[in-house]
Amino acid sequence: MAILTASRSPCSLSPSPRSQDPFWVKKRYSVTQLPPITVTSHLSTVHEAEVHSRSRTITRTPTPVHSVTPSKTSGDSVLDESDDHNLHAALTSEKTSNTVQSEFGHCANQSYRYISQHNPDKPVAEDEIEEPPYYILFTTYFSYLLLVVIGHLRDLLGKRFAKSSFIDLMIHDGYAPLVSDFQSFYARRLVQRVNDCFYQPISGVAGRTILVYDRYSEDFNRTQTYTGTTTRALNISSYNYLGFAQAHGSYADAVEESIKRYGVSACGTRLEGGTCDLHRIAEALVARFIGTEDALICSMGFATNSTFIPALVGKGCLVISDEHNHASARIGVRQSGACVRMFKHNDMGSLEELLREVISQGQPKTHRSWKKILVIVEGLYSMEGTMVNLPKIIELKKKYKFYLFVDEAHSIGALGPHGRGVADYFNVPPSSVDVLMGTFTKSFGAAGGYIAGPKLLINSLRMHGHSGPHAEAMAPPVLMQIVATTTSIMGVSSVDDLATSKSTSHQPTFKPSTNGVAMSEVEDEYLHPGMVPASALPTWFSIPSSLADGSEARERIRRLAFNARYLRAGLKKLGFITYGHPSSPIVPLLTFNPGKMLMFAQMMRTRKPTPLAVVVIAYPVTPLVTSRVRFCVSASHTKEDIDVVLRACDEIGDILDLKHGKGKRWPIEEIVKRSVELVHSI
Amino acid sequence: MSAGNATLEPLLTWLTLILAQLERTFYKVPGSAVIARYVRSSHQNDPGRTVLELILIVFAVRTLMQSRSRDKSEGKLIKFSEKEIDELIDEWTPEPLSAPLTEWEQRDLASVPVIAGPNGPKPKILSTGKTVINLASYNFAGLAGNEHIKERAIETLRKYGLGSCGPPGFYGTVDVHLELERDIADFLGTESAILYSQGFVTISSVIPAFCKRGDIIVADRAVNFAIQKGIQISRSTVRWYDHNDLKSLEDVLISVEKDRRKRGTPITRRFIITEGIFERDGEIVDLPKLIELKHKYKYRLILDESISFGSVGRTGRGLTELYNVPASQVDMLVGSVANGLCSAGGFCAGSTIVTEHQRINGTSFVFSASMPPLLAVAGSEGISFLRNTPSALTSLQENVRAVRAVLEKTEGIAVVGHRASPIVHFHLKIPCIANGSANGIATNPTTVMPPPTGPSFDYEAEEKILQDIVDDALANGVFITRAKRLRGQEMVETRPTVRIVVTAALTKKEIEKAAGVVKGSVAKVLGKRKA
Ligand SMILES: Cc1ncc(COP(=O)(O)O)c(C=O)c1O
Repeated sequence: MAILTASRSPCSLSPSPRSQDPFWVKKRYSVTQLPPITVTSHLSTVHEAEVHSRSRTITRTPTPVHSVTPSKTSGDSVLDESDDHNLHAALTSEKTSNTVQSEFGHCANQSYRYISQHNPDKPVAEDEIEEPPYYILFTTYFSYLLLVVIGHLRDLLGKRFAKSSFIDLMIHDGYAPLVSDFQSFYARRLVQRVNDCFYQPISGVAGRTILVYDRYSEDFNRTQTYTGTTTRALNISSYNYLGFAQAHGSYADAVEESIKRYGVSACGTRLEGGTCDLHRIAEALVARFIGTEDALICSMGFATNSTFIPALVGKGCLVISDEHNHASARIGVRQSGACVRMFKHNDMGSLEELLREVISQGQPKTHRSWKKILVIVEGLYSMEGTMVNLPKIIELKKKYKFYLFVDEAHSIGALGPHGRGVADYFNVPPSSVDVLMGTFTKSFGAAGGYIAGPKLLINSLRMHGHSGPHAEAMAPPVLMQIVATTTSIMGVSSVDDLATSKSTSHQPTFKPSTNGVAMSEVEDEYLHPGMVPASALPTWFSIPSSLADGSEARERIRRLAFNARYLRAGLKKLGFITYGHPSSPIVPLLTFNPGKMLMFAQMMRTRKPTPLAVVVIAYPVTPLVTSRVRFCVSASHTKEDIDVVLRACDEIGDILDLKHGKGKRWPIEEIVKRSVELVHSI
Repeated sequence: MSAGNATLEPLLTWLTLILAQLERTFYKVPGSAVIARYVRSSHQNDPGRTVLELILIVFAVRTLMQSRSRDKSEGKLIKFSEKEIDELIDEWTPEPLSAPLTEWEQRDLASVPVIAGPNGPKPKILSTGKTVINLASYNFAGLAGNEHIKERAIETLRKYGLGSCGPPGFYGTVDVHLELERDIADFLGTESAILYSQGFVTISSVIPAFCKRGDIIVADRAVNFAIQKGIQISRSTVRWYDHNDLKSLEDVLISVEKDRRKRGTPITRRFIITEGIFERDGEIVDLPKLIELKHKYKYRLILDESISFGSVGRTGRGLTELYNVPASQVDMLVGSVANGLCSAGGFCAGSTIVTEHQRINGTSFVFSASMPPLLAVAGSEGISFLRNTPSALTSLQENVRAVRAVLEKTEGIAVVGHRASPIVHFHLKIPCIANGSANGIATNPTTVMPPPTGPSFDYEAEEKILQDIVDDALANGVFITRAKRLRGQEMVETRPTVRIVVTAALTKKEIEKAAGVVKGSVAKVLGKRKA
């Protein structure tokens, strides 16, 4: 409890200063006091919300966020039962605005917002790769060498003197070993040493904070022993970009209603008796969200790639793939039987060179021309934090006539002023990409994936993709989470209600789509189809007004953009080497040395007063030398949460000698103070 | 020592001379002074750096050599000028990304019924608003719509939210996933289990996690599509045996061993891959015999129980319970939580070594988000339902008998599969025969093609007739479906069938009535065809 009053306590956000903020008052009013309304009758509420938000923009006063008042603890059943950690009170304090602080932090200060958008006057910047000093590379190579040598020595001696523990690696009883010692060497001798950083079980919501099971190992990570206790840590690891991982609030309410109405399972495949009306509704919404003619939904993101790519290409086709593409796309390509070539990560020059070669040479041996060429790239690369240079690829596409497949697993929802992914970020029409694929696991807090494109293509995929007849259809609760979140990002327009519903016809002049219910500072003039008509939603879906007018989700998008830029800029100013695009919510911090990576994770995990849950990744997911820590920023984080992360990195970075970046450094206090300036400067 | 020095002396002077000569020529090369200065200064600052740079140079040279040799192995590139390349690019016209669906495919897609509201034994069809009897969806034990499961799902939602927002390795392993894994392992009696977030991708990941290039897979000719894909990715050597014919399996096992002896190659990993209940036709494999063969010839068994788990055996434990074989005898037992427990996902049960290996090597486990916690809880609840309600599986078996009794008496169709199988397939008795030759070559374990069985069928014509039956049954209040296939992508084209999924959620009377409707539709459609 003592930490609550400490001035650096990260997560104790005071309710008192906020209550002076007109924005907050209004918001609370609209959410907690207004009864939820059904779609067909929400027009007047939308209008009201518009008035509110207008007044909000005018009378806005920045809230002092640094002032700290002890938060009051209220009984939150979910967190009370298992959590006795001292952070509990701070992190789970009050339940405001229908959300829980441990899942979604409150941040009322409107200056902690940013609109992520490409500046069309500037060229797309190349990814710059900062190199560490040589001695870092040297020691890194050396430590791998050491690990490999020691590993082989242990194997050599072990097989001679401790046969019993190697029995699974040798031919015994007429069976070849299930995994050969060569194949498993990496897992046994390298991964096992860092095993305590992975597969850590959690409980509860992977939101702003996360409840991690405590464990220790007595046998060098061969097995883990659980103490039975848990620790609540600040979560900068989950793909919860927009903070929709919530057990409370309007989205969870909608999902609960769907379970009551639909049960938990679709009970079959899409083509054989597992399609329900919710699938249709969700697919239409997703198509609208992405801005394409049609879309299909698959119950798993991985399978969206691995089972639908074979329906796009086959023998005689060529797939050109970025070298850092996700495993699911690689599996899909391998199953398709098409030829594959890779180009250097995000290097448009290398792509063009390759295109010239493959088109002019044709197929290997026969030199026949390719049936078609499909270029597969990702919107945002999950390990690098880099963003695809979409304008350049589209330019190349015009010249070289290939088809373009963009995997927006990480970018959809997380990028662009309207959360519509890379196309939105660069303000290019979604129709300029042939196949837009994405997943719902990340930004939407759901599961599964989608493919969006022209109707002709989507129907062909429905029939020829492996998932259609063979994989289970998406479960109704998951569909509802998708429906609720995409609806709230788009906002509900009532235009077509005017024609059908008499009860609302007394307000014929209200046109949300042009007025912009959105009261945003920037005028909405973008290419994606804007709001969703109420008729496109399930009739029983009661939408609170803050969701219907899109303001709630817009806050999320802008908070995410701010947090992402702030963390990256802050780490740079502290002197760390990071990879990726300034607007990317994935921020890899390079540790190079695998030992340091392990230490970093452990020090973060055991840090007082706020433990931090971080993800570390190393070879083979990354190149050998560039082991890294990967932060995934979320809209559920407050500015103070990012301060905590920066402070932790600052201290640990000094201890582990991780600050090898070039450029001017700032002390941590200055970074924290001038955060807004910093965010706008990069 | 001095003697050694004396003999070395001429050699040393010669070396110095050579070095001096080299130095002179080196300095004659333009720009060489810069390099020399650089090396000297860098060495002074940091001797370690020189070593490192030397290593880097060696590496760079090696990489260069490698890439050159790779180019060579890829065959000769034709040399073109830039202008020629531009012309070739201009000339090239790719095929469209997707061909439009054929008329039949369009009809097929449009005829998929959409259910309004919850799925279950008696769902409402969106287009007609009529309530129908459902013999198409997987709901073996009648878990769909179970109120207790819904309640538990809502409780879970309120504690865990919906999505897990991360792959299992990165804080995506939620305690309820581990609980479901434990429940499955306990239920089946294996050491442990691992949970995948979709049923279909489970076995296509399990197979390549263990079967590598050079390993041997012996598989049934009629394995389902997911297994085919897993085998394709594994790049192992595959031998095929005749569908559900364990005699043929043994012959293949013997010939593989003979082959190995002849070549004198060391023992590699060997796997038998087959299904418990075949998704394709409802046949059931003779598990005790299969286990015997596997032990005799020292193979590991990968058994796909996607249909049989949750649907056969006294309490739905699947084939191992049906035949009273300990599940630990099956090395990798793959099942579906989606089909068998009316939730989502799939699992692989086996020894701890087997499951732990997959936690690093199961591609779709490692590289995909874990399943939503509430679906995992629904799975756990499904298991406890099965444990406590053996009557569900008894009535399922009664219903299966009732359906078969009616269909077997129906003229014009042939019911296939095992009599205990909860999925019942039937195809047309009188085939539509396509013009052309037989569809196979002589039986041969190296090819998946079955031995020739006569003329090939006109798949599309048969599909159309079966679809007419399905449509007619739906119009009369019974929802059944054709077994949908990816024609052109399957290794072997199978005869089109209609698939009936029997459920315990309907009474015997309702089932008999429904089967009667199907019988009527068959008679009507086939009667028209004759006329
Ligand atoms: C680029 C990309 N595609 C696909 C996926 C798979 O998605 P899911 O986790 O929903 O299976 C991921 C997940 O990590 C990804 O990063």
